[in-house]
Amino acid sequence: MKYTIEHISQGENEVILRCHSPSAEMEQLIRFLESQNRKLIGNKDGIRTILEPSQILYVESVEGKTFAYAESEVFQMEYSLAQLGQLLGAVNFFRCSKSMILNIDKVRELRSLASNRIEATMCNGERIMISRTYASDFRKRLKGVRQQ
Amino acid sequence: MKKREEEVQGQVKMSLLERYLAVEIGIEFKACLYFFCILFFYSMYRLLCGSMEASILHMGEMIFLTYGMGYIQKYILDNFDEADRWGLREIGFLLLCVGIYTAVSYWGGWFDRRIPATAFYASFMTLAYICGFLVYKVKRTLDAKQLNEDLRVFQGRDGSQAPKQEHT
Repeated sequence: MKYTIEHISQGENEVILRCHSPSAEMEQLIRFLESQNRKLIGNKDGIRTILEPSQILYVESVEGKTFAYAESEVFQMEYSLAQLGQLLGAVNFFRCSKSMILNIDKVRELRSLASNRIEATMCNGERIMISRTYASDFRKRLKGVRQQ
Repeated sequence: MKKREEEVQGQVKMSLLERYLAVEIGIEFKACLYFFCILFFYSMYRLLCGSMEASILHMGEMIFLTYGMGYIQKYILDNFDEADRWGLREIGFLLLCVGIYTAVSYWGGWFDRRIPATAFYASFMTLAYICGFLVYKVKRTLDAKQLNEDLRVFQGRDGSQAPKQEHT
C-alpha cells in the first residue's frame, strides 16, 4: 500500500483513504484513527468526565464494574469490558487477562517471569501481569509492528 | 444459540487440552534434561569403576524418577527451579529434591551403595539444580531484553509515543 503526504497551508488536517475494498491493513488503520478521535465517558466522584483513549493506562473489570486507570486517577466507565475492548480496538490496546485491557503505549518496561508470564511496568510505576494465556499473543502483537 | 454454545464449549475443551499438553510437554522436557544429567554422572561412575556396561533397570528407575519429580516440582513445589530468585523456601525445596534423588539412588544401588559416590552424586544434583536456575534466569533476562526492544519499536511506530522518563 503506498501513501502520500500532502502539506497544506490552511484548512483542517484530514486523512483520506482510497481503496477498491478495505484490506485488513486499512481496517486496522481505520480502527486506529477512530480510537484517536473517540472520546469515552467516565465517572469520578459522581462527576461525568470525558476521557481520551490516550489518557488511559489500563482498564479493569471488577465485580461487574469497569474502571479505567489514568496516571493518577481512576474512572468508573459506563461500558462493559467487552464494549471497551471494541471501542478501544486499536493497535495499542491489548487484552492482557480475562479482566484487563492494557494500553501498550503506556508501558515503560517489560519483564519476563517464570511460567511464560510477562510483567508490564506502566509509566506511573504500576505493575500489570500479562498471563501465560495472553503472553504469546502479546509477543505477536509487538512483533507484528516490527515485521511491518 | 445451542450451536454457538457448543462451539464455545468446543473451544473451551480444546483450550484445556492445549493447556494440559503444554504443561505435560514442559514436564517431560525437564525430566529428559535431568535424566541426561543423572545418566552422565552414572556413566562416568561406571567408567571409573572399570566397567563399560550400564544397567537398563537403573536407567528405567532414573527416567521414572525424573518424570515423577517433574510432576512434584510442577504441582507441589511451584517450579522452584524456574523462580526469579531463591530464598529459604526455594533452598528448602532444593534440599528436598536432592534428598529424594539421593535416597532413590542409594535404594536402587546405582552407585553400589557407596557413601562417597552417593555423596558426590548429591553434590552433583545440587549443582544441576543451581545451573538449571541460572539457565532459566539468563533465558528470562535475554527474553526481557528482546521484549523491551520490540516494545520500543512498537511505541515508536508513528512518532515517539513512549512514556517520557521524568528526571528530578
